[in-house]
Amino acid sequence: MLKKILITTVYSILFNFVQVFAQSLKLSSIVKDAVSNEPLVGVSIWIDGTSIGTITDNLGYFSIQYDESNSFMLIISSVGYKNKKLESNEIGDIIYLEPETLTLDELVVTALGLERDSKDLGYAIQRIDAQGINQVQAGNFTDNLAGKFAGVTVSQGATGIGSTSKITIRGESSFTNNNPLFVVDGIPINNATNVNFTNDAAAGFQEIDFGNGAMDVNAENIENISVLKGPAAAALYGTRAANGVIVITTKNGSDQLNSEKLGIQFSSNTSFESAFQLPEFQNKYGQGNSGNFAFINGLGAGVNDNISYSWGPLLNSGIFTTQFDSPVQLSDGRTFRGGDVSVHGGATITPTELKSYPNNLADFYQIGSTKTNALAFSREFKNGNSRVALSEMQSEAIIPGVNLNRRSVSTKLNLKPSNKLSINSSLNYIYSESDNRPSNGYGSENVNYALVAWGPRSLNINALKDYWQPGLEGVQQYSFNYTYFDNPYFTLLENQNSFTRNRFFAMISAKYAITNQLNLQIRSGMDYLNEDRKFRRAFSSNRFVNGAYANQKIDFRENNTDMLLYYSLEKRKFGIDISLGANRMDQYFSSLQIQTLRLAQAGIFSLSNAASPIESFENTSKKRINSVYALSKLSFENWFFVDLTARNDWSSALTNPISADNSRFFYPSVSASFILSEKFKLPKMVSFAKIRANWAQVGNDTEPYQTSGVFIAQTPVNGLPTFSGQNSIPNPHIKPEKTSSFEIGADLRFLENRLRFDVTYYLAKTENQIISLPVAISSGYSQRVINGGLVTSRGIELIAEISPIRKPNLTWDVQFNFSENVAIVESLPSEIERLTLAYSRIYDNVNQTVWYQVAEGDRLGDMYGTGYKRNDKGDFIVDANGLYIADNTLKKLGNYNPDFILVTSNEIQYKNFTFGFLIDWRYGGILISRTRALATVAGQLKETENRPESGIIAEGVVNIGTNENPIWQTNSKAISAESYYRMKFDRNHEENNTYDATYLKLREMHIGYSIKKASFLISGQEIKLSIYGRNLWAWSKIPHFDPEQLAVQGNQFVSGVEDMSYATSRSIGVQVKFDF
Amino acid sequence: MIKLYTWIVLLISVLGCTTDFEDINTNPNAPVDVQPALLLRKVIYDYAENMSYEGFVAGNLLSQHFTMIDFNLFDRHNLSSPQYGGNPWPILYKNLRDISLITDYSNENPTYEVYKGPSFILKALISSTLTDIYGDVPFSEATKGLEGNINPKYDSQEAIYLGEHGIIALLNHGIEALENYTGGIQLQGDLLFSGDLDAWVRFANSLKIKALVRISAKSDVSNELQGIYNSGKYMKSNSQNAVFQFSAGQPNNFRMANLRIGDVNLFVMSQTAFEIFDEWNDPRIALFYRPLSTDNNQFNGLLNGPDASSTSISVSDYSLTGIVFRENAAELKANIMTAWETQFLLAEAAERRLISGNAKDLYESGVKLAFEYWKTEMPANYLNSGKAAFAKIGENPIEQIITQKWIANTINGYESWIEYRRTRFPKLKTVSASLNNNLIPVRMPYPADEEALNKVNYEEAKTATNGNSVNAKVWWQD
Repeated sequence: MLKKILITTVYSILFNFVQVFAQSLKLSSIVKDAVSNEPLVGVSIWIDGTSIGTITDNLGYFSIQYDESNSFMLIISSVGYKNKKLESNEIGDIIYLEPETLTLDELVVTALGLERDSKDLGYAIQRIDAQGINQVQAGNFTDNLAGKFAGVTVSQGATGIGSTSKITIRGESSFTNNNPLFVVDGIPINNATNVNFTNDAAAGFQEIDFGNGAMDVNAENIENISVLKGPAAAALYGTRAANGVIVITTKNGSDQLNSEKLGIQFSSNTSFESAFQLPEFQNKYGQGNSGNFAFINGLGAGVNDNISYSWGPLLNSGIFTTQFDSPVQLSDGRTFRGGDVSVHGGATITPTELKSYPNNLADFYQIGSTKTNALAFSREFKNGNSRVALSEMQSEAIIPGVNLNRRSVSTKLNLKPSNKLSINSSLNYIYSESDNRPSNGYGSENVNYALVAWGPRSLNINALKDYWQPGLEGVQQYSFNYTYFDNPYFTLLENQNSFTRNRFFAMISAKYAITNQLNLQIRSGMDYLNEDRKFRRAFSSNRFVNGAYANQKIDFRENNTDMLLYYSLEKRKFGIDISLGANRMDQYFSSLQIQTLRLAQAGIFSLSNAASPIESFENTSKKRINSVYALSKLSFENWFFVDLTARNDWSSALTNPISADNSRFFYPSVSASFILSEKFKLPKMVSFAKIRANWAQVGNDTEPYQTSGVFIAQTPVNGLPTFSGQNSIPNPHIKPEKTSSFEIGADLRFLENRLRFDVTYYLAKTENQIISLPVAISSGYSQRVINGGLVTSRGIELIAEISPIRKPNLTWDVQFNFSENVAIVESLPSEIERLTLAYSRIYDNVNQTVWYQVAEGDRLGDMYGTGYKRNDKGDFIVDANGLYIADNTLKKLGNYNPDFILVTSNEIQYKNFTFGFLIDWRYGGILISRTRALATVAGQLKETENRPESGIIAEGVVNIGTNENPIWQTNSKAISAESYYRMKFDRNHEENNTYDATYLKLREMHIGYSIKKASFLISGQEIKLSIYGRNLWAWSKIPHFDPEQLAVQGNQFVSGVEDMSYATSRSIGVQVKFDF
Repeated sequence: MIKLYTWIVLLISVLGCTTDFEDINTNPNAPVDVQPALLLRKVIYDYAENMSYEGFVAGNLLSQHFTMIDFNLFDRHNLSSPQYGGNPWPILYKNLRDISLITDYSNENPTYEVYKGPSFILKALISSTLTDIYGDVPFSEATKGLEGNINPKYDSQEAIYLGEHGIIALLNHGIEALENYTGGIQLQGDLLFSGDLDAWVRFANSLKIKALVRISAKSDVSNELQGIYNSGKYMKSNSQNAVFQFSAGQPNNFRMANLRIGDVNLFVMSQTAFEIFDEWNDPRIALFYRPLSTDNNQFNGLLNGPDASSTSISVSDYSLTGIVFRENAAELKANIMTAWETQFLLAEAAERRLISGNAKDLYESGVKLAFEYWKTEMPANYLNSGKAAFAKIGENPIEQIITQKWIANTINGYESWIEYRRTRFPKLKTVSASLNNNLIPVRMPYPADEEALNKVNYEEAKTATNGNSVNAKVWWQD
């Protein structure tokens, strides 16, 4: 690097020297702020295509020498101002630079890749530029969107970089599908999460999260992101846009100011991650039950050594007992550990002191790191421009053995071979791989099961690092308990779930100007994904005594081809644009998992090493949607705009074996904007005022194969096949869903755009929802596909942008994003009083279930569960034994949706320094925690620290009257502390394991320094250094984990439930950027 | 412009073309039609596998063969909170659904006529399991989701047994269909009898004997019982049993063999079981239970339903599950109906004078068959002296019959509990930390799914069971 700087420096000195002696003239001028008329200091000026340049002095004055023989272009640029290009003959005494405001007249990409001036749109659209996305990088691109847009919520995945982040726009209004559509350079890309095949029971493989599709997007390549929030904005992307669209535009080769010069951008990020929030434990009592513990074999031979509750003896009190890490001295002189049971064969263990390990979980998590390097070359040439970008990411998670590596190459080529024809293409290839993705969900494959829920407080975690019993490497693990759990290091380092993924998405489009008014565009794009996953389980795993192995292969392909005919006409005050288009989408998905649940030889993970019959699970699906559409934009003068759209889709998924009649659906939209500030003369303080309104419909289809029934292969018996009817009742007459929305908004800017408000109110009705509803199994089926229900969702979005300071050397911009969304169920399918939409259940256990139910008038997201009986005053009823009485009727526990979300971001620029931060406030909603249930029942959490000898009196009342005429008296009967806590937080009753999910979070912060003037830099070149942090601080009422949670259960992600989650990570990083 | 218009029309007609949509939307992964043999094999296996596991992890707690030392709200008789098994409802209904598909095939296609009898018999079997466990359940309207009924009403147990299409009628029609079958097509997928239709008739008659004895307090069943007894067409030897032999390894082995060792070691010998085996001096104790690790001849049981939060239990002090349920699980069979169970039922019928027959002979034959079934040698004087000697002074013959059946039904815990509810034998113990006011439950509560998903009908059934109480007697119980 140093060498390069030296060369550059020497080069530029020599170059300037030569310039001085060339026959040259001098040009001078003063640069001023166009608004304040103040002179601007430190503005860069240079001659296009050369390295000749200078900067303005204290008075804004500059002079530059040039060769008289050529006319040339001068480029003037300064941070916080718009760049200016001027011909040499246009240079006057004063050059005015327009301050760069955040949003004035920005171009946004709307449906079909059409660039539009945001000011004439009749719907809400919010855009951020590259800087806002990659200033503070997250390993999962989706996380970068958190807090940046009003109405957009992102829930981070639980297993670090590489896990699924769930994104929703304007809350959830559909019973089933609330995923927005991702579009890169005009082509839809897949954002699905594909979970492996699992087994509900405590045997078989657990769920593994391999991440969501959009995480593959390389943030460094992004030019800008526009979020189209409502159906109006999205009507022309088709059915999948009903939940909003995230439109990503990647960088072109024409970004750099020096045209026809090779531009080089390089950025390097290194960040370090640490566990963000860990449970608060009690550290007084150790492993055991009723105060007793002694380890013999971890299977029950010792006192309570078959379980790992922390209801054991008082720690650090001088008690000596046998433990798994206590020494065993054999008569032949060899020494083993107590837990080396298979080796020492039950020899006497020497007792050691029972100590507390308050940091055992903290010690388990490591410092993670993520290194990202991105290099891009760009060039503008006569008939176009091109860009090639390479990037590499290497990430080690805070969870030992968990990693993610990603390499990508992207190219962009824009050609204009003639005045009439332009050709654009974009290609992205991404390769990702991981040695291990940890298991989520409830069960022994998730290390939190052994570490948090059932990890005793006397557990010396470091003693577990050497996880084989000596001499039995590869065959028998060493652990603190052999009944239910695996040594967490053994789980993470031996029982790995690895994957490799090839992802390719690309588009090519050609645009031809048939006449001045008529254009034709043809475009084709593809998203392709191929993933190979391997699940390895070593011998002595609790679930697989003889190991196991599974291989899952996933293929996904989506092709989109469209054409658009565009006609534009302007006559006097009227303008009209009409476009007609058509699209064909073809989707193909296939997943094949082959597995054996028993291996012949330890350590060989191959299907040919199977010792039990090989099982396979295959799933293939296809879908096609044909569409035709028309849109027209009408404008009157420069203050009134109307957009009309209409689209007709034909979806194969709505076809039944007999007819395709239901497959067609049509949806229109109309939107209008009225720019008051252009039409009327408004007070000077108003710089821009617009009101907008729109009405739109979007139709929606469903997953393939919902219209007819099939038979499903079941466990073969003695090698012979078996089949069962499907558990879902198909619906051959399924109709498309319909969402109608109305939206009204205003965009108001004051004081030269230093104050801006954008407010939107929307009301959307979703009817004929296609729902796969749980039904009573006594009907013979567990699910049925129906059309039904009407949900209205209404909400407010408010964006406020304030620039309190805007001086040449100091700027401060503040942005607030406020959003509120409530979805109410207006009606339910025929005569159903209350509808169960879904449930979150563990071990297929009916009583350990959180039910997502709605009744008419209820809010979507209500959760139900069970609790303990209360009297009419709401006090818990206590029985004669001092215990609560289980109440197994379902009661409403709360709603998982927040009441509102308020995010503020601040950007401050002082000379070459930049500073910014983003704070998220989510108010309302509840979270049901399984970790809390389990880890309190097991005596691990802080809640259980108080254990008086005299016992605990459960708060509640006793009935001393009769059942008919109860007389309530405060309970006075004490029960043992252990009985009390185990009862109170019993996992069968969710009520006492519910938290308020409100939180305040410092999500991002960054400090940067930019070098533009240095002897080794030529004009237009820049070096930027910054330090940034993510997830730095949070406040919530939840003591044990990050309040942002996403749980995975039974192959799906569920909201409002926390289940054995890993710690999320706090990251602090350094970024270096070169722009040459 | 006209040219353009033509192009647009052409384009729309191409895109609007949906001729290959049916093709695209045809599921390539699974058949829309199967041979009934594939369903029959599934139903038999699924019922056998699931109910053996259920019978072990939940039934055996109710019948007090085993107790659970932790995660045992079920064992403490909070039956709504099972941790392992304890929810046979969905298993039974899914199989009833598949059986009705078999029946449909046999009705629609003459080639499949041979499946009609077995489908009736299996429906009777599974329906009786359901109603015996829960009482009134959806029956006449059950498994009709495809026809649009997703909220089936509950039928009374009396109607389920004795109704026009009830259990007894199903068995009669099943036998009739088998006996009248003249077709040449063999029954396929028959894991129980390899297509032997006579064996199915014996199986149906054995089930009928069980059903009749079960409802004998409420209905005069003696004529029918006598008729079957006289016909001799019921299970008489172990080779005629309806059983499924588990395999040594996955995927067709006994589920306890695959569970984590910690899950298995939660189950220890019940004090009730210990006392019975001890008093009866029954060698099968060594089969079903593991001797203490400290002494190979010693067994020890624990009173059911301990409160793990107030007791410190060391599993090494108690007998764990026998190796036949894990290490030697390849020896194990799922028993659906057996000759010994039939003999015991007939012995009881004879003892109660419902049939004219020799109760002692029937009992002794049952005991011998049960020893043979469990591959244990019966001690020479087992039937002559000691507790097992039939009608010995001081012994209640009914108690002896039921207790012998209880012993042999170790993997079939629900059946032992059902018979306890009917006969009060063997005498079970009050559990140590009862969550049901020290009462032994006499039915399983309806699962929460029904409350959530079949609400209107559930509410009616709830009222009929005193609020879905586990202490509400079912119809056949005296």
